Amino acid sequence: MASDSSPANFNGPTSPDDSYSSPIGNTFSSPGDARRRSRRRSTTPSAFATPPPNQSRFATSDANPALTPTPSSRRGGRRGGRRATSTTPVNAAATPTSTDDAPASSEGGEGYDADDARPTFVWGTNISVEDVNEAIYRFLKHFRDSSTASQSEDGLLREGKYEIAIKRVIEIEGESLDVNARDVFDYDPDLYTKMVRYPLEVLAIFDIVLMNMVGRINPLFEKHIQTRIFNLKSSTSMRNLNPSDVERMVSLKGMIIRSSSIIPEIREAIFRCLVCGYYSDPVVINRGQITEPKICLKEECQARDSMTLVHNRCRFTDKQIVKLQETPDEIPEGGTPHTVSLLMHDKLVDTGKPGDRVEVTGIYRAMTVRVGPAQRTVKSLFKTYIDCLHIKKTDKSRMLAEDPMDVDNPTGRNVEDISFDKEKVEQLKELSKLPDIYDRLTRSLAPNIWELDDVKKGLLCQLFGGNALKLASGASFRGDINILLVGDPGTSKSQLLQYIHKLSPRGIYTSGRGSSAVGLTAYVAKDPETGETVLESGALVLSDRGICCIDEFDKMSDNARSMLHEVMEQQTVSIAKAGIIASLNARTSVLACANPSGSRYNPRLSVIDNIHLPPTLLSRFDLIYLLLDKADEQTDRRLAKHIVALHFENPESLEQDVLDLSTLTAYVSYARKHIHPQLSDEAAEELTQGYVELRRRGNFPGSSKKVITATPRQIESLIRLSEALARIRFSEWVEKSDVMEAFRLLEVAMQQSATDHSTGTIDMDLITTGVSASERMRRENVLSAIRSIIMEKMQLGGPSMRLLELLEELKKQSPGPEVHLHDLRNAVSTLASEGFVSLHGDTVKRV
Amino acid sequence: MVGLAYDLLANPQGAVRSTFEKAVASSGLDFDPASLDGKDWGALHLFRQFLFDQTHLSQVPILNGETVKWVQPNTLVRFRGMIQDMLGNEFYVGAFKDGDVWRTNKFMDVSHFPMPMASTSSSHMRVWERRLLYCVPVPGRNSWTEPSSESLVNRCVDCSSQQREKRRRMDDESVDHMDMLVSDEGFQGSPSTKKMKENGHPSMSSQTKEPINEGICSHMSTVPSIDSESLPCLVKIYDSPESDLKLNDVFEFIGVLTFDSEVSMDKDDQDELSNGFSEDVLVHLPPNKVPRLHCLIHRKLTVPDFLHSSPIMEPRPHVVREIRETLLRHLTAVLGDDSVAAHFMLLHLLSRVHTRVENLAVGKLSLNLTGFSKESVSLFGHRLSLAVKDLLPVTHSIPLTVEYLNSSSLAPIKDYETNRLITGVLQLAEGSHLIIDETQLKAGTLNSVGVDNTRLLKNLMELQKVEYDFKYYKMEMAADVQLLIISEGKSNILPADIVIPFQPTSADSSEVVAAEALEAWRWYLATVKSLPHSIESEMQKVVENDLVEARQSDRSIGSQDFNRWLTMGRLMSVSFGENCLSLEHWQMVKELERLRRERLK
Repeated sequence: MASDSSPANFNGPTSPDDSYSSPIGNTFSSPGDARRRSRRRSTTPSAFATPPPNQSRFATSDANPALTPTPSSRRGGRRGGRRATSTTPVNAAATPTSTDDAPASSEGGEGYDADDARPTFVWGTNISVEDVNEAIYRFLKHFRDSSTASQSEDGLLREGKYEIAIKRVIEIEGESLDVNARDVFDYDPDLYTKMVRYPLEVLAIFDIVLMNMVGRINPLFEKHIQTRIFNLKSSTSMRNLNPSDVERMVSLKGMIIRSSSIIPEIREAIFRCLVCGYYSDPVVINRGQITEPKICLKEECQARDSMTLVHNRCRFTDKQIVKLQETPDEIPEGGTPHTVSLLMHDKLVDTGKPGDRVEVTGIYRAMTVRVGPAQRTVKSLFKTYIDCLHIKKTDKSRMLAEDPMDVDNPTGRNVEDISFDKEKVEQLKELSKLPDIYDRLTRSLAPNIWELDDVKKGLLCQLFGGNALKLASGASFRGDINILLVGDPGTSKSQLLQYIHKLSPRGIYTSGRGSSAVGLTAYVAKDPETGETVLESGALVLSDRGICCIDEFDKMSDNARSMLHEVMEQQTVSIAKAGIIASLNARTSVLACANPSGSRYNPRLSVIDNIHLPPTLLSRFDLIYLLLDKADEQTDRRLAKHIVALHFENPESLEQDVLDLSTLTAYVSYARKHIHPQLSDEAAEELTQGYVELRRRGNFPGSSKKVITATPRQIESLIRLSEALARIRFSEWVEKSDVMEAFRLLEVAMQQSATDHSTGTIDMDLITTGVSASERMRRENVLSAIRSIIMEKMQLGGPSMRLLELLEELKKQSPGPEVHLHDLRNAVSTLASEGFVSLHGDTVKRV
Repeated sequence: MVGLAYDLLANPQGAVRSTFEKAVASSGLDFDPASLDGKDWGALHLFRQFLFDQTHLSQVPILNGETVKWVQPNTLVRFRGMIQDMLGNEFYVGAFKDGDVWRTNKFMDVSHFPMPMASTSSSHMRVWERRLLYCVPVPGRNSWTEPSSESLVNRCVDCSSQQREKRRRMDDESVDHMDMLVSDEGFQGSPSTKKMKENGHPSMSSQTKEPINEGICSHMSTVPSIDSESLPCLVKIYDSPESDLKLNDVFEFIGVLTFDSEVSMDKDDQDELSNGFSEDVLVHLPPNKVPRLHCLIHRKLTVPDFLHSSPIMEPRPHVVREIRETLLRHLTAVLGDDSVAAHFMLLHLLSRVHTRVENLAVGKLSLNLTGFSKESVSLFGHRLSLAVKDLLPVTHSIPLTVEYLNSSSLAPIKDYETNRLITGVLQLAEGSHLIIDETQLKAGTLNSVGVDNTRLLKNLMELQKVEYDFKYYKMEMAADVQLLIISEGKSNILPADIVIPFQPTSADSSEVVAAEALEAWRWYLATVKSLPHSIESEMQKVVENDLVEARQSDRSIGSQDFNRWLTMGRLMSVSFGENCLSLEHWQMVKELERLRRERLK
């Protein structure tokens, strides 16, 4: 079997003194014929391609006139490459066959012969080893991050990014160098194309060049360093892998579902003669097989069939087969997820566990299915797998090997690590330019929830958020917008909440009834194993930089609710218990929803009475929406129309130009990450004016009572809202229109929530103190009336009066609005606090 | 054999090959196999013409547990089944150069010509891909949907005997070829090859014996262990867009039946590497249990396709009306003279999900018959389920008990060890009917499985969706299942669209149903169900006004009630075979709803 075989695809490590092993050499160990076959196959597509123009460059060095210029150009290139990299070991990709070359091993020669049998102008037309060699060298030597290079003039004098990286690898005696494929593309798109198209060949050269450079930096460095390519420009969907991808470099996202046990794969075997004890030279694996020497090679012995394998002197490498499955979002409707096998080697073994979401860069390969283990008959089927080069866990976005580049990457610090490829960004920017993007986003938000457009607009602002501001003095202003939805049952509050929870970049959904104070903030627990006290984060801390959705807010215990005060304004959670004093960040937006106190909104009661939440907490919400199920024929009709249309009309006409969930998420995350709008002068002016106007509105002519219509908290809210609105447009400046829309939103929310039911004006006092201005005036009237009654009827130290008598008296004197005992009692207790009267139970006594 | 070089029924592969050769020849010397990537070269056209234009379809035997015993491999068969699992794509050598001649492997497992040795010869080959679908007979299919196999058997024996000679030659050829390969390799002295020749090769040896054993039955040995009740089939789909075939769709696949003998050898192969890479799945689907079908033509089946003697009738109003009346009478009799329940039952049997808007499945109408006692269940429950079975092609019933909930696996689960989707009770084809008998439910404790299962049932009920368990995540699959719940009181676990107390007045039902009547009812249900429906703008106004009025007078009426009424309105007018909602039918719906509300009080 071995005799006819084959291109020792992997003869790098054959000689023991040769420390340079082929980087992807181990990948060749998979059934050898697969590689050869598939390589040949890979060439066929280009078989009909026209030769590239550069062939003439090598025409002069044509060694074999019988061949067409094309192959010779390749051959010439090869020779050149060989010269340039004369120190490199023989490698399959760079194996020269020309007789005038260095003595190649017979296997290597044969391998080339096999290659030669292919149609002549093949991949060689595209790859000249010399060119690639130089291109790679240039890249490794000279590539600099555009950002660092432009920083200063002496950027040119500094070492290239990968030179530094190589030095670091040498320092830490690492085994691999991570190369960002985007860097390659930026530096030399041609090289990138070649690398993706012919990864086996180019990577082999890459390693050779790399080892050359390593050798120059530190000649004593013995370890082999492998190149690991990652971050390809485009990643393929597993579903779209097709025969034309075979032998190309691909990048896939998926979830690991199964990994095999580690398989030790033999690389070199050493045999010992049982007769004379002679140890053979290491025998290299060949097409997945080791040939046992038939005869003892020692001249004196030459015993037949005496050789036995010495296990502990053989060299093994680790190998693992991992199954990767499509992530759920890539599966089309009515399909099941696809899986693909990954072949992992050495360091990559066990880097991913089942359940991990990873991004894998590797070479897609196909392997014939052999009928039997020792048979060469192949079926007409192929098994495909991916030879893994690099694996990246996408959820943590950390490189497998500590990526030195990533550490000092300034953008690497960003917490929200959603990466956007250029196309996507372009697409999003296109979207943002649409004139109706605001409405379109509003429509796309929970499209199945019908109406409630203004609520949705508010929620949209919450998703985008304002800018957080930290002053040098240490004062900080939150950028997060808090929203409270109060409404009748069945007004789809919870659905809105669920939707936002799904959409927000990081969000926690809790129900008020099931949440305790510590569950929301943080709690101290004893670690069961070590006995140490540890701090466990609660929902609010966990949703840092996200949205914390709290359902059933009204059913929350007061204790738990009071914890929210700090979070909602200071955005921290302070803990002082069990010896731990800490302040944790909780930069979260709160989206809460509550039922009115009587489960249905009672329009006769004030909002505060309906919501039944402490005013202190209420004022911390930027927007409070009342979702009332009004018995309004107009809304009923619209609902009826909507449902009739649902049943009888084409569904396509119902939902038009609505963004799908993933686009919406991407849009939001991109805006949150990259857009930081600032107030323009015009907008600031508008803001000031509007605020003044808002405050003045209480003083309408003819009214003596002072109604505070807006508080400084509102102006902060307004700024946040206008910033969020600018973000929606991907605009770096807050325009006047944003401010106007913010005012409108606030007004819509306030008119619903802060309408004083006796005057009809906006009354922020209702929110801040729970008492409306007109109510306060009425109370004062009652108070003064009682004061005069008491002055009239009672003497100092005289007999006491019962409250009911007082009420009778009051009714007699002021026949105006009805006064309740409850109001009276309030008034009397105010008087009592003034020291005017004393109140014992039901009796009032003047003192 | 006039006109055609090959008999398409008995030797479809021959036709495939000859059309391929023609295509190669027609493009002359500079034939580029890449031009055929993912394309048909005229073979399918030939088959389509033969099967549909010349109506030879009925001659193609249907593959099932019975017929598989005598159907010859490499002949044309039909398989009707539901796509239960998708096993991904398979790359194969689609076209290759044998010497100077291009050959194709499309629609076959094993090459009929020596393939170029991968390691030795030229590189002229194209790799194409095909999809693997694991199909099972539609779960819960009732026996009346099976075509009476008797006639088919005769027909097929006839036509196969004509072709026996030819096929035998073909078989010989391929067997010879395989033998040759094996012996070639055998000489290389690997012990495992010999072993394989002796042991691991039952199917081939049986094939070799075939010419000696007279008679068709010799093929029994190839398929010894097939469960004749449910024959799964591994269907290989060529060049068809992915969106065509979805999970749980019911299809008729017409293609070449093969018993892929080589894979059976493979499974003894202990080679670590190839086992690791092989799709694993195939190892668990030995070809002697799961036949392979290389699909030439596939078509989606709908309910009318299951009616074997489907009378081609125009759904004319008076015919429909008549059938509707008799069916309603039948249902009333089954339900012990409860005509209101029978009306609802009829609407329920006609329901289907016709639109999905976000989370809302429009058109579903699940029915909850309450007021059953232990005694009435044994009588009416049984009668009802029999009646439904006779009317609808695909039915199931679940006895809802605590033990059942705690132990059964309702949702399909992905098994990553075998890389297969293990089916669950709720993996149902579109349009299945499911009776859930809640009367047997007693107080008890649900374990986590039970809680999960109730949640699944509830989701199916409310959203018409089933969550498939992919271990690391769940995936929702849309379903379209008619749900009928029988319970003592209103079911709280399974909130149905319509809850109606069942009030039978007579217990005896001596009605004998005539076969023709059954046929007519089945036809009626299948045809009427798929009618399109719309509403005129005037009627729309009326409906809207009615809805608004109802809501003005009773605030507790919400969008759910609206949805129910409109669904009922649609079904009501559809049940009369009409495409447009009329005032009369809308009034009927309102009247029905009034009667129902009265009963609920």
